[in-house]
Amino acid sequence: MSDVRLVGLKKRFGDNAIVKGVDLEVQAGEFLVMVGPSGCGKTTLLRIIAGLETADEGEVYLGGQRVNELPPRERDVGMVFQSYALYPHMTVRENLAFGLTLRKLPRADIDARVAEAARMLELDALLDRKPKALSGGQRQRVAMGRVIVRRPRLFLFDEPLSNLDTALRVQMRGELSRLHRQLGVTMLYVTHDQVEAMTLATRVAVFNQGLLQQLGPPMELYLRPTNTFVAQFLGSPSMNLLTARRDGAHFRGAGFTLDAVGEASGEVKLGLRPQDLRVADEGPLRGEVLAVERLGFDGYAFLQTAAGPLAARFEGSSVEVGQTVAVRPLGDVLHVFSADGARALRHP
Amino acid sequence: MSRGARRVAASLLLLFASAALAAPLRLWHGYRGGEEEAIERIARQFTAETGLEVEALAVPYDALSSKLTSAIPHGAGPDVFIFAHERLRQFHRLKVVAPTPALETDRYLLPAVAALELDGAHYGYPLAIKCLALFVREGVAAPDSTDALERVLPAHLSPDTFGIAWEAGDFYFHAPILAGFGGQLFGADGRARFDTPEMARSLTWVKSLQDRALLPQEVSGALVKTLFNERRIAMAISGPWFASEIDPQLGYSVHPLPVVSQTGLPMSPFLGVEAAFDSARSEQAEAAQRLARYLSVGDATLQRVTLGRQIPAELAAWDDPLVSGDPLISAFRAAAERATPTPNTLEMARVWEPMKLALKAVLQGGVAPEDAGALADRRYRALNREALPQADPRPWLIALAVGVSWLLWRHARRPRQPSPETWLGLTWVAPAALGLLALVLIPFVIGLSLSLFHHEAGDYTFVGGANFVDILTSRGYRFNEPLSFYFTLAVTLLWTAVNVVLHVSLGLFLAILLKEPLLKLRAVYRVLLIVPWAVPNYITALMWKGMFHRQFGAINALLGLLGVEPVSWFTHWSTAFAANVITNTWLGFPFMMVVSLGALQSIPADLYEAAAVDGASRWAQFRHITLPLLRPALLPAVILGSVWTFNMFNIIYLVSGGEPGGGTDILVSEAFRWAFQRNEQYGFAAAYSVLIFVVLFVWSRITRRLSGEEPA
Repeated sequence: MSDVRLVGLKKRFGDNAIVKGVDLEVQAGEFLVMVGPSGCGKTTLLRIIAGLETADEGEVYLGGQRVNELPPRERDVGMVFQSYALYPHMTVRENLAFGLTLRKLPRADIDARVAEAARMLELDALLDRKPKALSGGQRQRVAMGRVIVRRPRLFLFDEPLSNLDTALRVQMRGELSRLHRQLGVTMLYVTHDQVEAMTLATRVAVFNQGLLQQLGPPMELYLRPTNTFVAQFLGSPSMNLLTARRDGAHFRGAGFTLDAVGEASGEVKLGLRPQDLRVADEGPLRGEVLAVERLGFDGYAFLQTAAGPLAARFEGSSVEVGQTVAVRPLGDVLHVFSADGARALRHP
Repeated sequence: MSRGARRVAASLLLLFASAALAAPLRLWHGYRGGEEEAIERIARQFTAETGLEVEALAVPYDALSSKLTSAIPHGAGPDVFIFAHERLRQFHRLKVVAPTPALETDRYLLPAVAALELDGAHYGYPLAIKCLALFVREGVAAPDSTDALERVLPAHLSPDTFGIAWEAGDFYFHAPILAGFGGQLFGADGRARFDTPEMARSLTWVKSLQDRALLPQEVSGALVKTLFNERRIAMAISGPWFASEIDPQLGYSVHPLPVVSQTGLPMSPFLGVEAAFDSARSEQAEAAQRLARYLSVGDATLQRVTLGRQIPAELAAWDDPLVSGDPLISAFRAAAERATPTPNTLEMARVWEPMKLALKAVLQGGVAPEDAGALADRRYRALNREALPQADPRPWLIALAVGVSWLLWRHARRPRQPSPETWLGLTWVAPAALGLLALVLIPFVIGLSLSLFHHEAGDYTFVGGANFVDILTSRGYRFNEPLSFYFTLAVTLLWTAVNVVLHVSLGLFLAILLKEPLLKLRAVYRVLLIVPWAVPNYITALMWKGMFHRQFGAINALLGLLGVEPVSWFTHWSTAFAANVITNTWLGFPFMMVVSLGALQSIPADLYEAAAVDGASRWAQFRHITLPLLRPALLPAVILGSVWTFNMFNIIYLVSGGEPGGGTDILVSEAFRWAFQRNEQYGFAAAYSVLIFVVLFVWSRITRRLSGEEPA
């Protein structure tokens, strides 16, 4: 059963169309990550689902019920804000209990739920502090705890980790994953960080310019991107794109020739992940090394080739800036896209 | 240096240079307009004739008396000053005025000379006389008796017009009527008596005119002028100053006040004599006498009559056709023949407030004329506290010495090492410290000391804590009477609480409306709503006072449209209090609105969103987010507002004026009355101020604790 269903959602602010017609179904218990660059409309979508914005067109269904006209408090959703939005004048305990107090739950129930959430998030020792006496990570956990205690049917996260440092972010990602397994509740998560998308999601929805580009499990998106935008958005460094033309059994581009695969003809975009390319003595692609990113034993070299910039992995061998090197693909690794990049024609 | 600054510097130099050459005779007066012009001209003429320089200075009339009594004893005042004779006894007691042994008594009108006599000696040269007379519109028969008056007036009645108007709530205007009914305000012992049959009859007569709408209600000087100029009354009782306020297009004549038909006695107004007095401290006494005399005779008199429209006191002037041919001036001379000089006794200064109380009680408050005298009597006795016995100052001085030494000892005990920085620091602090010392500390100590004294007619007696005992035991009146400290304190606290609650709730409400981003013309509303704050509050107070007028006020007019009977706002305590509160709320809400608006805008929007998702309704968001987060900004504003309101003198004084019967006075206006309207009981007023300070001090401790709970 689908837990969240969006039908033809549109939203504009003044002359700016932010969401241009989005259809999306989220299954119960799913951890769906909505990812995309800034301004792609993902946060607006989340706020429309929460009821903090109203859609200009289209419908929002939660648990099968149309909720377009319902205020946030009647939608049974919980939301973690980017700024956490903790109530500065309340202690951690009061922050956690606020939603329950408003719903006039019995005191004992509230206490039990707050204690449970505090245990789950390791906030026990902080319950009587006020937000400003907490660290960033602790505030983040309080913001999550505030949602957990209410046990809503849907969790909404608006870039919740973006204000944390890297180490904390890794830790919190782990905690979020654990939380999702523990609670089994539907979660909708907005981020612009592809690592969060890849590690957290059961499915990822990639957005660009107000439109859904592709929806699917993270590895499917990585392996089988439907267009060059998704292909380049996921994976680091980004997928190399080279313009080429089918010439019988070959793809020929500026200064390179590769063996042709698939049925594509005419002009195409070839996609090559840097991980699938090796710096070598011999290869179909050559270029000057502009920069080197050494990660230890291996690393990435960034070249300038006749066909444009190209990133490729190297192992051990000493690659220096200014050198001219060759690059070869490791087997059948070629993604082929239409010339405008809008369609994938072939995946390895 | 700009050109203007150079010019100022040059003229200052000139001023000092001329002062060094020959000190001019300094002349202070309270005249404006034509009278001022006349005085300046006469001064120039005097200089031309005698070669003596005169420097005439116009001082605002309200401030003149206090300037004279404070400047002259310090040798800084004028050589000659012009003032009304009522203050003569006070001037004499404070050694401000010099006698005039050479006064040619037969040169001036007899009552004018009599007014300037004190214990057998004369003081000052009479210049002009002022008294009340009857102004009658053209075409109306001038009545010579009250019966004639009552016959003439009904013809001029309509729903919008009245017969006659005068400031009936003011004793100056009632005095001639009292005299006409045979009443004597002062007994043989010189003490005032109010509870007399003549008083009752005079009040009954005035009340009967008002009951028949022949006399409008709540008449002020401004109202008399308006009604007369708009031809809505046939007659007015007023003084010579009224002539300049009358529309020049309007024909009128002036007559002596009528005879009271019941007694056959004429209404006898108070006669005020303006005189040129010589300062007791003048260094050029002879020249000063010359100038004062010069002002009062001959050509100077004619100048004052023609330019200043004065009623001359000099007899010879009446032979001049310019004077005798002037109908206004001759009419006032005729009126003056029936007048009695205003007593220049101290007792006179004490009758105004009790009489005002009695008049307002009868005309507005529903008190029977027979009972008003007793009411005035009670108030008179309460206000004129008997002189307190002198106390022994020694225990107080010992306590003071002990206190000061203890403070010094505590100060000296603390180890400290003066360093060069200490001195540098002190020099930086010095300007502010000196300012505080001069503007706060010294006046405070003086006020504190003053509260231990009793003041009567320039003499201070040390009475210790007797003023406080009198106030706190409510001596002379019941605890629940308006004059009681506790009654006034309760009114003050109620006044403060009601106002602050209204200011905050209204201000917050409007701030929330103004914060709404969808509201059109938001900026315009914001400016409009701040306007009441930008207008000086006494102007607002006077406007509201006018709007609350029973017959002519906008508020009763609006209520009338709704079919509500006109409310006599200042007759009942609750309506008078409400009028004050309405005015002050109008003045007070913008401040709270601005503070709230700023605080509201600093609350992050996502807190409301988080609360909305958490399940909070609009009201719950307001209660759990807005209010607690406004608290840190609003609490100081509330504390400040409460102190301002507690001491909001202007509104009380100008709107209700303490009506009815002092019931709506707050502590600070009551302190003002004791100091300046009730026989100058400075010590008693200072004790009131000290008590106000104590109340506010306690309040500030409480609020500090309240705001201390705030997370820092």
